[in-house]
Amino acid sequence: MTRAGRVLGSLALAVLLLAAPVAAQQPATPISESEAYEIASQLRCVVCQNLSVADSPSEMASQMRELVRERLRAGENREQVMQYFVDRYGEWILLAPRRSGFNLLVWVLPVVAVVVGLGIVALLLRRWTRGASSPAVAAPALDPAMRERIRREVERDE
Amino acid sequence: MWGALEGSIVLWAWMLSLYTLLLILRHRENARDLYPWALSVMLGVLSFFVLVMTLPAPPFERLTPIPANGRGLNPLLEDTGMITHPVALYLGFTGFTVPFAFAMAALATGRLSDAWIATTRRWTIVAWYFLSLGLLIGGWWSYHVLGWGGYWAWDPVENAAFMPWLTGTAFLHSVMIQERRRMLKLWNVGLVVMTFALTLFGTFLTRSGVIASVHAFTQGTIGVFFLSFLALVVLLALALLAFRWDDLRGQGSLDSVISRESTFLLNNVMLVAAAFTVFFGTVFPLVSEALRGVKVSVGAPFFNQVNVPLFLALIFLMGVGPLIAWRRASVDNLKRNFLWPVLIGIVSAAVFFALGIRSTLAVLTFALTMFVAATVALDLVRATRARLRMQERLIPAVGGLLLRHNRRYGGFLVHVGILVIAVGVTGSHAWSVQTETTLKTGETATLAGYSFRFDGLRASEESNHFKVTGAFTVTNGTTRAVTLLPAKKFYPQEQSPIAYVDYRLGLVDDLYLVLGDFARDGSQATVKMQVNRLVSWIWIGGLILTLGAALAILPDRKPAR
Repeated sequence: MTRAGRVLGSLALAVLLLAAPVAAQQPATPISESEAYEIASQLRCVVCQNLSVADSPSEMASQMRELVRERLRAGENREQVMQYFVDRYGEWILLAPRRSGFNLLVWVLPVVAVVVGLGIVALLLRRWTRGASSPAVAAPALDPAMRERIRREVERDE
Repeated sequence: MWGALEGSIVLWAWMLSLYTLLLILRHRENARDLYPWALSVMLGVLSFFVLVMTLPAPPFERLTPIPANGRGLNPLLEDTGMITHPVALYLGFTGFTVPFAFAMAALATGRLSDAWIATTRRWTIVAWYFLSLGLLIGGWWSYHVLGWGGYWAWDPVENAAFMPWLTGTAFLHSVMIQERRRMLKLWNVGLVVMTFALTLFGTFLTRSGVIASVHAFTQGTIGVFFLSFLALVVLLALALLAFRWDDLRGQGSLDSVISRESTFLLNNVMLVAAAFTVFFGTVFPLVSEALRGVKVSVGAPFFNQVNVPLFLALIFLMGVGPLIAWRRASVDNLKRNFLWPVLIGIVSAAVFFALGIRSTLAVLTFALTMFVAATVALDLVRATRARLRMQERLIPAVGGLLLRHNRRYGGFLVHVGILVIAVGVTGSHAWSVQTETTLKTGETATLAGYSFRFDGLRASEESNHFKVTGAFTVTNGTTRAVTLLPAKKFYPQEQSPIAYVDYRLGLVDDLYLVLGDFARDGSQATVKMQVNRLVSWIWIGGLILTLGAALAILPDRKPAR
């Protein structure tokens, strides 16, 4: 990322940290580290290129992880914590877009692609198998051992 | 050498000329009708890259003012992985130009018989081999250098390399139907064109700075050049396809839905759908920004969720495809080939569950893996037995089998590699644990049965940077203690320090330490500790996969008949 981006990121963090004491005054509830990790892995590290807050080794990310824990300790649930970050950074902070509105498109189209693909294959298979349902020639009688051997040879011979 | 935009274009052009030379040497004599056209296409593509080198991205531009010690390489790239990764990746990328050239030659000459397919297949495996190698080395680099504890981030640039891999894989499978049944001519040409277009698109994505990403170390105005060339390539290919439409529209006929043909068709649907998903996910932020003016991110959580079902389906097909009969699978054939593997799959699912694995995804993946592994084993055992019956010894029997049917068994080996990788990926997602703490000197933290003792900090001056190293002793009570030395490197040309990861690889557990903040007097430091599970399986699987691909490249050694 550019230096300008990094500066912007730090500024944004400064704002966040100023807002933090408000949350910290509420009674602390014990939090689960795995919950914090899961939330952090859904958030984009703002100074990195494409890493989550959970994964990034950058300082900024470790401060954001601390922020996640802080909000959890203040009694917020996962949705609220995520919303907190979305309010401040915009939708961009979420690594997986929400399944609503325009963003639904990115979730639905892959499914549509698979369904259409399967549909085409089903159609083709139907067309191609039509009229080929009867075995072409009745195989002459072979002794089973011989047939077995031929079959194996054919199968192996790719 | 191959740093930044200019360097990569030079590398591309260099690789492409290498391939062109090979093509000249190999096919000047034996593919007389296709050769001139294929060569022209190669040279056309090559001249595009040379054009890019001369106009928008001259590689040997002088810097003004001249920096005292050179501009310096991004320190993250100072690694052997980074010497080999771009070479392998670009050998893969450029390698797909050869199949494309032959496809165009076939379209142009109208010689759409199977000559071009036969010529193209091995070239495609070569390109596929290098692309896979490049992806794997990239993952390894990401794992041991970037310090985020992962190997694949679904970064746009990784996606750019992954898409042609997916369509290339699809082609390698569907081409078998054309060889056997003279069907799918149109589709195969389409896949070749798609793969080549995706390599161009990937380069455009990486090198134009259009999407900010880990690898986008460069920015430039090169996008227009690439997009226009991409459009030109696609239009030309489409025009040729339309021109030969009637010749390509082969009449297909199948005997039964339950046959290898339909398995391969399904395999193609899954692979192309996966490629589409990756493509759409990668460009979606651009679409969203252009249409709504809202920036969104599409990252790992999205790609994992959408692609996992597709990959599971692919693994299942991987078990069915190679053993089901061509044309029509009889009940007998199905029973012979799949009774045992299916049983093994079901039993192993039960065993994994009994062992305490509760993640549905993990159980499902492992059971499918066992099923596919069983099909491979079954086939190998049967074929070997057949040879043993012909009075061969065991070792020469297996060896001869592998060499004589190198394509089939190379393919199997690749499949096994993929299985091992799948186990590694699943395991590392399901069971890796991590935590982050601040320790004073002499203090100990524990994670997953390991205790990490912080022994202190040490500062040192290296040739081109300043380094602060933390020493940690790790034990789990049973094995010998290991010392890990994660560090932070301060480079004069970089604003922020670079984390230097230290790790210990293991078959099951990888220990992985990243040094965070530390007190200036060295009394305490923050450290991110990870115990990553089964990650090594990915590298082992990668090794198997590349061996398999290499085996498949070997010239056929059909016995004289």
